[in-house]
Amino acid sequence: MRRRVETAMRLAALAAVVAAMAWPLAWMVSVSLRTPEGIGLRFYRDVWQAGPFDRYFLNSLIVVTVVLAGNLVFCTMAGYAFARYRIRGARLLFMLVVSTIMLPKQIVLVPLYMLVGRLGMLDTYWALTLPFLADPFNIFLVRRFVEALPPDCEEAARLDGAGEFTVLLRVVAPSIRPALAVVAVNTFLINWNAFLFPFILTSSTSMRTLPVGVAMLSQGAHSTDWGHLMAGAVIAALPVVAAFLAFQRQIIGGLASGMGR
Amino acid sequence: MFLAPWAVVYATFFVYPFVYSFVLALMRFNPLSPDAAAFVGLDNVRRLGGDADFARALRNTLVFVAGTVPVTTALALGLATLLRRPLPGRDLFKAAAFLPSVISMVVIALLFKLFYAPQGALNAALAHAGVAPHGWLTDPRTALPAIMAMDVWAAVGYYAVIFHAAYAAIPEELYEAAALDGAGALATLWHVTLPMMRPVIGFVVVINAIRSFQVFIEVFVMTQGGPLGSTTTLVLYLYETAFRRLDYGYASVVAWVVFALSAAFSLVAVRRLRPGAAAGGMP
Repeated sequence: MRRRVETAMRLAALAAVVAAMAWPLAWMVSVSLRTPEGIGLRFYRDVWQAGPFDRYFLNSLIVVTVVLAGNLVFCTMAGYAFARYRIRGARLLFMLVVSTIMLPKQIVLVPLYMLVGRLGMLDTYWALTLPFLADPFNIFLVRRFVEALPPDCEEAARLDGAGEFTVLLRVVAPSIRPALAVVAVNTFLINWNAFLFPFILTSSTSMRTLPVGVAMLSQGAHSTDWGHLMAGAVIAALPVVAAFLAFQRQIIGGLASGMGR
Repeated sequence: MFLAPWAVVYATFFVYPFVYSFVLALMRFNPLSPDAAAFVGLDNVRRLGGDADFARALRNTLVFVAGTVPVTTALALGLATLLRRPLPGRDLFKAAAFLPSVISMVVIALLFKLFYAPQGALNAALAHAGVAPHGWLTDPRTALPAIMAMDVWAAVGYYAVIFHAAYAAIPEELYEAAALDGAGALATLWHVTLPMMRPVIGFVVVINAIRSFQVFIEVFVMTQGGPLGSTTTLVLYLYETAFRRLDYGYASVVAWVVFALSAAFSLVAVRRLRPGAAAGGMP
């Protein structure tokens, strides 16, 4: 009986929490749908075409695809190398790299902007992708998973005459699939939502990504036009919400694996 | 060989700019007249002392961190505690609380800019309780607290999920023993959960504080640092110094302040929270 009352109280408290979380989000969606002509998608059509959110969406998609592919390939290679090869100084180098993972990236904001400018890459896809191709956190994750694998399978493959790339691709990569899923989901979320660096490194409307486009919308001609603002915000949020619903386990599991346990 | 692609990217786009930011901090550098660039030693650092705008940005940032991190941590731990034992719909509650943390802060900040507006949803709800509409973001007294409340809303689910995962590592027998001893919910929290959770709480506080020292998007989208500078933060000040006033050298010094604050905070926290340190100090 006491248990029951307690469970009911926990449920009530949790329901209140969920309502508080859902309220602003539900309000955002409702503002975006309430047009002067009634419930409809007019605001979405407007920002998609004139925003131009179709272009922002395409840019975000291109950037995230390239950055995701780069991280999967380069971080798997580097994480594997740090886990398996005995290179002089590699351990120390790795510790140094890991210690910078959490610290503020703004430290390189101005110098990176200058560097990208000197390379003639400002306002191009190069600027939006190259600097972000190999996130050290992903290397850290891959390394930990590879270290947990018994090296026997790799040795056996090598005895069969497999080259290092074949070992990595056919033996190691399939066995660390959960780590690669976390790498993929993390990289997608971080880069889809990235604002400061894409904002600084681009200047023309045609090179903006979705978050930058949303921020521009909030300061442009539409800034007092709530329906359009919220429609743009929903367009930017929808892919990550869909990804979250589809990959909940990887996202929440990935969080736990980032805790250093 | 496997390290090469990563090493090239990392050296070019992180190590080199990182080192260069140190050099920049010692220079006077305006990108419009790069020929006039000159080494000025520690002049930029000395400027910090007499800069009232910097002092205000620093104060706002410290208020933001000191105000949000403990509240977020406490609420997240409370939420995880509600979710500790099995319950119908537990995964659904967890997902709903977590949802804001996958959404871009730009989207959340824009949403709350309207949510807090005089005609926004918050005032509409308060009107039912007879409260007069208030421009939460246009009043210097409420702008920063309103942004802080939004940050707690957006972050609490993320840390609740971390605490939830940590609960799984605490042996259930400890809770059974506490129940047998007749310990209430608060006593259980104090004598079982907090001691067992200590490293995780430290981890959560550190990563949240480091994230919060960098608060930028929220104020950039919602207030641009206003009204009357009441929401200017360090990174917003860094951005304005670099890209509006084109003072790269001084901006780099501000960047180093953000960096040093984060580094110092994590060092202190790691030392204090190491198991066995400061015996009996922290719960």
